[in-house]
Amino acid sequence: MAELVMAAATPHNPLLWRAMRDPMPDDLAAVAGNFARIRDTISELGVDVLVVVGTDHIRQFFFDHAPAFVVGKAAQYHGTYENEVRTFGMEYVELAGHPELAEAIAGRELLPEAIDFAVSHEWRLDHGFVIPLQYLRPELDLPIVPIHTNATLPPLPSPRRFAVLGEHLRETIAAWETDARVALITSGHMATDVGGPRQFAGSPDPEFDADAVAWMRDGDLEGAVDGCRFDRVMAAGNVTYQYVNVITALAAMGGRPADLAEATESRFASSPFFMWRKPA
Amino acid sequence: MTKYMIDKFMRAVEMSDDAVSRYVADPAGFVDAWLAGGGTPDLPTDDRVLTPEERDAFAAVDHAALYALGAHPYLLWHFIEAAHTHEFGDGFGWRDLVERYRADVAPHGHVDYIP
Repeated sequence: MAELVMAAATPHNPLLWRAMRDPMPDDLAAVAGNFARIRDTISELGVDVLVVVGTDHIRQFFFDHAPAFVVGKAAQYHGTYENEVRTFGMEYVELAGHPELAEAIAGRELLPEAIDFAVSHEWRLDHGFVIPLQYLRPELDLPIVPIHTNATLPPLPSPRRFAVLGEHLRETIAAWETDARVALITSGHMATDVGGPRQFAGSPDPEFDADAVAWMRDGDLEGAVDGCRFDRVMAAGNVTYQYVNVITALAAMGGRPADLAEATESRFASSPFFMWRKPA
Repeated sequence: MTKYMIDKFMRAVEMSDDAVSRYVADPAGFVDAWLAGGGTPDLPTDDRVLTPEERDAFAAVDHAALYALGAHPYLLWHFIEAAHTHEFGDGFGWRDLVERYRADVAPHGHVDYIP
C-alpha cells in the first residue's frame, strides 16, 4: 500500500520570488531555511508524488463557477499566469500530474462519501501552487495532484470540511494499492490582508497568528476548527482563510502535534511553516 | 450594484498585459468598448453591465470608489497595481502606491464584497 510519509505547510507569497535571492537578505534567511528544511525532508524520505492543497487566486476559478474543492485529474499542468510574470517576475513552468492518484481521491463514476469534489482536466496553476513547488522541489520532477480549496470566493467550505478533506486523503492514500511514498503539501498564509485597509503593514492580527501556530504545535484539531470560524478568520485579514488549508494537513496526520510549527518573521507578514514526519 | 460585474471587469483587465496597456492608455474608452463587447444570444454567456457610477469609477481609475462599491479587495488591489505600475520611477514607487491605496480605502472600513 502507498504511504503518506509527511505533510507540510508553506507560504506562497509571490513577493518572495524577487526578494529571496543570494546573497540572502538577513530578514529572509529564516524563511529560506524553513523551505530548505522541508525540501530536504522530501528528498530524505524518498517521496514519489506530491498532493498539493492550495487555493487558486481567482485565476482559473471565478464567481461564474466557484467550486469548493477541485481535484486536478490532468496528466500535465501549465503553471504561472501572465500577470504573475509581470507583477512578481515569476517563471512559466510545466508540471506532471498523477491521474491515477487523482482518481483515487475524487472517485471515477461516483464521488466519495466524504466530499463532493469537482474535477479538472485543464487547469493552469497559479503562484499558490507554483511558489511552494519551486522552493520545495526546484527540479519540478515529482508528479503532483493539485487540490484547489475555495478560500476566496464566498460562500466558502467550513473549516470542518478541510479536516474531512485531510482525513479523506489519509484514508485514500492508505488504501491505494501501490508502493508510492506520498507527501501532502498545503499552501497558505498566516493573518494577511490584500486590498483592504491593513495590507502590507505587518501581520494584521498577531493574536490569531499565535493561536494558529499553537493549534499545530499542540495537535489541537478541534481548537483549529473552532478557531477558524469565518468571522474570526476574516477579522484577521481578508485573505487569511487560506490558513485553513493547514487544517487539512493536521487532520491528514491524525491530529498529532507538528514537528515544526512556526510563523516566521520577515519583511513580509509572518510566513507559515509546519511539518509532520510520519513516526519512524 | 453589480459587484459581480465589477469583479469581472477587473479580472479581465488585470490578467492580460495587452488589456492593461489599453486600459491605461484610455480608461474611459476601454471601459466603454468592454461594455459594448459582450456576448450575443447565440454565443456562450458573456454579459457585461455596469451602473453609471461603476463605469465612471473605472473611467477615473478610482480605487476608493471601487472599494466602497464592493469590489473584491484582492482583485481590486492587483487591478490598481497593474494600472499604476507604469508610473513607478523616481519619486513614486510600489510602496507609495501601497500607502496611498491603504489610506484611501481605510475610511470605508470593511465593505461587503460578496456578490
